[in-house]
Amino acid sequence: MPGRAHVETLGGGGPSRGEAAASLFRERRRFVATLVAPAALILLVFQVVPILMGVDASLRRFSLTDEEHPFVGFRNFARILSDGQFLGVVLPNTFGFMIASVTGGVVLGLAIAMLLNRPFPGRIVVRTLIVFPLMVAPVVASIMIAWIFNDQFGIANVIVTALGFPPVAWLVKPWLGLGIVVLTDIWLQTPFYVLIILAALETLPREPFEAARVDGANAWQVFRNVTLPLLRPVLLVAIVIRSIDAFRVFDTVWTITKGEPGRATEVFSIYAYKEAFVFLNLDRGAAAALVGAAIIMVVGVVLYWGLRRVTEVSR
Amino acid sequence: MRRGGGALANGWRRAFLGLVLLGVLGLFLFPVFWLTLTSLRPESEVFYVHRGTHLTLANFRKAWAAPKIQESFVNSAVLATLATVFSLQVTVMSGYMLSRFKGAANKVWFTAIYLFRTVPYITWVMPLYLLTQSLGLFDTYLGLLLPHVAVHVCFFSWVMKGFFDGVEPELEQAAYLDGCSHWGAFLRIILPQARPGIVALGILCWLFTWNEFLFALILTGSRTPLLTVTMAQFVHELGVEWHLMSATAVTAMIPALVVTLFAQRYVVSGLRL
Repeated sequence: MPGRAHVETLGGGGPSRGEAAASLFRERRRFVATLVAPAALILLVFQVVPILMGVDASLRRFSLTDEEHPFVGFRNFARILSDGQFLGVVLPNTFGFMIASVTGGVVLGLAIAMLLNRPFPGRIVVRTLIVFPLMVAPVVASIMIAWIFNDQFGIANVIVTALGFPPVAWLVKPWLGLGIVVLTDIWLQTPFYVLIILAALETLPREPFEAARVDGANAWQVFRNVTLPLLRPVLLVAIVIRSIDAFRVFDTVWTITKGEPGRATEVFSIYAYKEAFVFLNLDRGAAAALVGAAIIMVVGVVLYWGLRRVTEVSR
Repeated sequence: MRRGGGALANGWRRAFLGLVLLGVLGLFLFPVFWLTLTSLRPESEVFYVHRGTHLTLANFRKAWAAPKIQESFVNSAVLATLATVFSLQVTVMSGYMLSRFKGAANKVWFTAIYLFRTVPYITWVMPLYLLTQSLGLFDTYLGLLLPHVAVHVCFFSWVMKGFFDGVEPELEQAAYLDGCSHWGAFLRIILPQARPGIVALGILCWLFTWNEFLFALILTGSRTPLLTVTMAQFVHELGVEWHLMSATAVTAMIPALVVTLFAQRYVVSGLRL
C-alpha cells in the first residue's frame, strides 16, 4: 500500500484529504482484521466446526463401528431425554455436585479470605501457600485424595480404625464417592474464591466499616451487614463462572470413581463420554453433550438473573 | 465490644484465629504432604506410610526410568511449550483488538468468545476426535496443539483485553502522530508495556496445558502419551503400584510448586478473572 500512495503523490500533486483518510481507514480495517484472523480461524476450525459436526452426528445413526450414517432426526435426543440413567442419576448427580462444590468453595473461600484479611506474622507465607491447589492438575489432586481414601491402605481408614470404628469402603457407596469428588473439587477451587475475595476486600470503601464501628456493631454484624453486601457483585460473578465449570466437571470424577460403582456416580460429561467412547454410540454421546450444553446455558442465565434479583432485593 | 478485659479477650481471640488458620492451612497442605511422603517411602512400605521412618529416592529413580513415563513428561512439556507460544501470539493480537478497536466487529467477536467459553468441553472434543482423525492429525503433536490453542482462545483473549485496557491509549496516539504505523505502534510501543500481563498469561498457559486432561484423553492414542492421561491410567490398570504413582504425581506437581513459590506475583492477576 505505501507503494501506491507514493505513485499517486508523484502523479497528481498529492492525494486529497478525503483520499488520505480513506486509505488510513482501509489500513486500519486491514490491521484489525489481521489481529483477529488467527484467533477467529482457530476458533472456527477447532471449536465451531466440531460443534456443527456434533450436531450432525447427533441427528444420524453414528456408531464408531458403522460404515453408513443414516439420518434419523431427533431420535437420539428422544432416547437421551427418556433415559432413566440420564434423568434419574446423571442430572441429579451433576446438579448436586455443582451446588455442593460451589457452596463449599464460596463458604470456605470467604472464611479463609476474612482470616487472611488482617495483619499477622507469616501472612505472606500463608497467602502464598494457600494458592497452590489452584496450580495443581485436577488429575494429580484426584490421585492424592483417592490415595488418602484408599479402602485398604488410605490414611483415612487408618484414622477411622484407630478411633475404634470399622474401616469404611469409601468408594463403594455412591454418595460417599461423589462426596470425595466434591471434596477434591473444593480443594482445587477454594483458592480461586480466596484470591478474588481478597482482591475485592482491598478495594472496598472504608466509610461503611467505620460507621458500623461507631454504631457499636460486633465483628459478625459488620461481616453480615457491611462486608457481605459489598462483596455481592464479586461473589455473583464467581458463583456463575464456577457453576458453569462445575457443571462440566470431568477430570476429578473420571480419575476417582470413573462413574462407578455401576453407573451411580456419573455426571453429565462422564455420561456423554461413556456413550461415545465406551459404548461406542457417538450419536447418543453427541446428543447428550448438546443437551448438556443447552442446560448449562439456561442454568448460567437463570443463575445470573436469579442471583442478581436476590442480591438487589436484600440490599 | 466491652472495654474491661478487652486486651485479654483480644489475645485469646487472636490465638484462636491463629489456630484456626493453621488448621485450615494444614488441611489444605496435608494431601500434598501425604503424597510426597508416600513417594519417599520404600516400595515395600508404601502401604504403611504411617509406620516406619525409612525414606528413599528409589521410587523417583524407578519412575523416571520407565520409558512410558519419560515419554509422557517429554510430550507434555513439548506440547505445553508449543501451545504457550502459539496461544500467546494468537490471543495477544485478538485481546489488543478487543481493547482498542471498538465497533461492530468488536461486539461480534466479544460476544462470540463469551458464548463459546460456556460450551462444555465434552461437546466439542468428541467431534474433534473425528475431525483430527479425518485430517490425519489424531495422536500427533499438531492434532493436540491446535485444539489446545482453541481451548485458550476465548478465555485468554478476554484476559489479554484486560491487560491492554490498563495501558494508556495516549501512547498509541503519540506514536501515530510520530508517523508510526498500526503495526509499529502495537509491536514497539504497546507490547513492551503489556509485558507483565503477557508473561503471566504465558506461565498460566503452560501450566494449564501441562495439567489438561480431557482433550489429552480423547485426542491421544499410544503414540503420543501425555502425562495426565498416563497418570490416570495408572490408577486403574496398575492400581497397586502406588510407589511409582506417587513419585510420578509428585514430579508432575513440580511446575505448579515453582509457579506458586516464585511467579505467583505475576500470575494472580490472570487467575482472578
